[in-house]
Order: sequence, then C-alpha cells, then structure tokens
Amino acid sequence: MINPHRALLLAAFATSTIAGCKRGSDSASGGAATASGAATTTELAISEIQLGKKLSADKRVAQATTTFSPRDTIYAVALTQGSSPNTTVTARWTYEDGGQVVKEDSRTIAPSGNEATEFHISKPSGWPKGKYRVTLTAGGSTESKDFVVR
Amino acid sequence: MAPNNRPKADFSDVEGGSSSTAPSPSVGAGRSYTVKKGDSLSKIAKREYGDAGQWRRIYEANRDTIKDPDLIHPGQVFRIPEA
Repeated sequence: MINPHRALLLAAFATSTIAGCKRGSDSASGGAATASGAATTTELAISEIQLGKKLSADKRVAQATTTFSPRDTIYAVALTQGSSPNTTVTARWTYEDGGQVVKEDSRTIAPSGNEATEFHISKPSGWPKGKYRVTLTAGGSTESKDFVVR
Repeated sequence: MAPNNRPKADFSDVEGGSSSTAPSPSVGAGRSYTVKKGDSLSKIAKREYGDAGQWRRIYEANRDTIKDPDLIHPGQVFRIPEA
C-alpha cells in the first residue's frame, strides 16, 4: 500500500510538471480550453436558402413563402456556416427555366460562424407572372430555390 | 417542336440590394497584431478586447493562417476584428 504522504507528493509533482510544460513551451500557443472544438469548424458553405416577403432584424426571412404577387419585394437569404477573411456571396435571379436573367448581385463578406446574407429584388412596374429561380453561391457551395409569381 | 414566340419580359426596372450579418472584409482588417513568444490566442484576446474568452473571434478572422488554435508562432501577423 502506498504511503498517503508519498501519494500526495507524487500528485503534486505530476501537476507541476504538466503546468510547467504548457507555460514553458517555446512556441506561442492557443492555450484555449475549447480549442479542439474550434478546429472542427467547417469551411464556408450554404446550409439553407430562405425565400420570403419580409426580413427580420437578424436578416432571416420573417414570412417564408415561394409564391409571390407582382408587387412584392422578394427576399432570398443564404444561411452560411464557416469562416473566411474574404469571400463573395452571389445571387442570380432567373425567369422561366433560366431563359432570362432577372438580376445578378454579389456581396463580399468576412463571415465567422453562422451568418445570414440577404438579397432582395423588386420591380415597380410589377413582376411578370411565371416561374422564377434564385441561385446563391458562397465559397464552393451553390444552392437554388424555385418560386412563382401569380 | 413549335418555336417559342413569346416576347421576352422586360426586367430593366428591377431594383435590388443586399445586406449581411457578416462584416465586410475591410472592417475586419482594421488592425493587425504580430505574435510574440509566449503569446496565445487567449492572451491576445485579453489584451485586445479585455476578455480572453474572445479568442475565437481572432481565430475565425485568421483561419487562413491559423491551422491549430493551440499552436501559433512568433512572427505570425493576425487581423484583429473590431471590438
């Protein structure tokens, strides 16, 4: 059986050795307790496209729909995950199976974590009725969503 | 197949815009910091923001140069996002 005093000394020595290794390292280190979790963050990708007529304060769609009226402002939101110091999110709006480009727009951002980037379009003279599609691209990720104007 | 004789729609008056919860790169690149011996992301965050727990902001803004947040090297230059 181990002498209790000897056990205490061993435990104290082990603790001081571990702490000494961390502080005495030549290279600078993160030293963050949750660092291993951070390392698993994924590259930038679109996780979801939201379509709707209204936007909330957090840039998410407040009133989701894929059916619009000719006088509506149409919002498309790209929810992205991941980070980048500089990336461009693009939106391409097309009409009738891509036969006509309605509008193309882009925005350069520096995302960190979960972000929402919205694009919106309106047409004072009214949208022609028919089928539309919005295609959003961020990083190497591309997602599309169809909608109609009735 | 019959030719599509439908006239093209006029989208010349379409208006648009965009916004994002993410900052623009110019905002995120406001300051820089050169890593010194003994630094850690937590220490830099404490110095820059007064809160060591904000280390992840620096990590996320420099993912292109930080491969492992537990291993940064003297001489590396990091962007420091605005507080």
